[in-house]
Amino acid sequence: MSQAGNGTEVGLADGIDHQVAMVMDLNKCIGCQTCTIACKTNWTDGGGREYMYWNNVETKPGSGYPRDWEEMGGGWDEEGEERTPGELQNKEEYGRAWNFNHEQVMYEGSDEPLRPMEQPDWGPNFDEDEGAGEYPNSYYFYLPRICNHCTHPSCVEACPRSALYKREEDGIVLVDQDRCRGYRYCVEGCPYRKVYYNAMKKTSEKCIFCYPRIEGEGPEGEVMPPSCAEDCPPQLRLVGYLDDEEGPIHKLVNEHEVAVRLHPEYRTEPNVYYIPPFAPPQHSESGESIESERIPRSYLEELFGPDVHEALNTIERERAKVERGEESEVMEMLTTTDTADQYRLEVFD
Amino acid sequence: MDRRPMFLAALLAVSIVVTTLAVPTLVSARPAYEIPVTNVDNGATLDAVDGERWDQAPSAGVSLSSSGAAVPGGDNSTIDEVRVASARTDERLYIRLSWDDPTRDTSADNVRQFADAVAIQVPVNESARPPIAMGSTDNQVNVWYWSGLNDSQELLAGGPGTTTTLDDRNLESDATYRDGRWQVVLSRPLDGAGDNRTSFSAEQDVDAAVAVWNGSDMERSGAKATSEWHYLALGPGPQGPPYEMILWLVAGLGIVFTTLVTIEGVRRTRGE
Repeated sequence: MSQAGNGTEVGLADGIDHQVAMVMDLNKCIGCQTCTIACKTNWTDGGGREYMYWNNVETKPGSGYPRDWEEMGGGWDEEGEERTPGELQNKEEYGRAWNFNHEQVMYEGSDEPLRPMEQPDWGPNFDEDEGAGEYPNSYYFYLPRICNHCTHPSCVEACPRSALYKREEDGIVLVDQDRCRGYRYCVEGCPYRKVYYNAMKKTSEKCIFCYPRIEGEGPEGEVMPPSCAEDCPPQLRLVGYLDDEEGPIHKLVNEHEVAVRLHPEYRTEPNVYYIPPFAPPQHSESGESIESERIPRSYLEELFGPDVHEALNTIERERAKVERGEESEVMEMLTTTDTADQYRLEVFD
Repeated sequence: MDRRPMFLAALLAVSIVVTTLAVPTLVSARPAYEIPVTNVDNGATLDAVDGERWDQAPSAGVSLSSSGAAVPGGDNSTIDEVRVASARTDERLYIRLSWDDPTRDTSADNVRQFADAVAIQVPVNESARPPIAMGSTDNQVNVWYWSGLNDSQELLAGGPGTTTTLDDRNLESDATYRDGRWQVVLSRPLDGAGDNRTSFSAEQDVDAAVAVWNGSDMERSGAKATSEWHYLALGPGPQGPPYEMILWLVAGLGIVFTTLVTIEGVRRTRGE
């Protein structure tokens, strides 16, 4: 733990100098999957990684990727001391790459629409936009997910070979490919199912928080934000160190407490935080707005824990301030279009 | 004539004959924990599991139990016994391991798939017995590892979770799966030819322990069936607990006791 300037505590793992973190504003996500593709083309287009999305965007409520990952176990017990090993899922639960009738449509003059060659029954985003609730008050939102680079990572603890480790300088969690022997305890130990098994290489792989980019190892030698953040059209991600008191992440997470963790009950202490989604109020059958929240608070609490209530209340107050013409640091941080404010790249330099 | 002394005398005679015949058979039984090693002139037919020479090589049944390692399934293994035979030439040591496994698992192409595997560990320093669980930092083990991925590796370990692949691949393997049983032969030059590699000689027995993984039970790493320390009987003489002496002593006492009882019986019959 380190003490921030205003007295709030910043949880850092033991022996970690700084902790990289990300805040994702769910109100901005349009489900376009640009982040998914940015990550995939950068890191996971090689052999054995066909099914892997280190970054994915799923619809909530929904089964997610892999299917029903929230029910597979993993993480820590309530005291955060004992690991609770989960189940190892089937490959089918990730979904596999479908073969399409490209050949027939593109080259053989078929009038068939372009579609998978066989009847698919599951895949990433198979339940996209379905959501829950009844017309006219149905609801859904998108949830982008990457590895949380947890403060208390259960994948690291799960590996009997210490092949997973947390970098001292920035808390990024990596898999040492030379030490990994493909036991997959990390895959079943991560309650977010964000460690993947590469059957071709027989090792585990995962999100690396684009560490070569934040280290400036690219062709121009420039420090760059992670691909998923930089390529996001609505720019919903803020990147920096959690313990950077001048940065927006520290302010949103620790000072204003409007950014919350996904499934904090897993006790791995994720370092990806979410601004919970707002939706228009419910409508009556005659189409009038009524005083009832469209996305049930109970559901948001299931996802983000009890802190989501105060976070939503605070955001509502801050929005009202702006509507009244007053200043709001929270809304300024959440609506800035200045990438220098969004990505505190100087902290990585 | 009273039949009783005659009966006792006959019993004595039979006892002596039985003891004389049975004791040598009993004392030639292998000491516990021995894995017999056959000396052969050339290993031409030993590098294959079906090699003729293996038919004549004695083997030992090695009991296995769960390793109890601190991983999920570490106390829940499924293979109970492995038969181990060994043979050596002047240059090479061969070990044949076979065990029952109703499922043949030779793929890890799916997230939930694990391959069957077997390994034998020996101390790097063959004069000292390391901790059974993969040795320790100051007392390392060499591991000969084969998995159903058709892969064999020579490993070095200094405690649980420390296995490291040794680069120079001298280890050769052959495996078949038939009638619900795996048979695997592993062989390597006697001379370790390098640091951290066990060298075998004809002068000394070498400790050895075995592990088997059942892939369909999702066994891997510490989730495995393991043996206690046994030893490869490479040295010149009989080793192990002094069973032979104990057996002879018991037999000798038995003979004396029977004789005395007989004599006493005869004396009483005569009314002396």
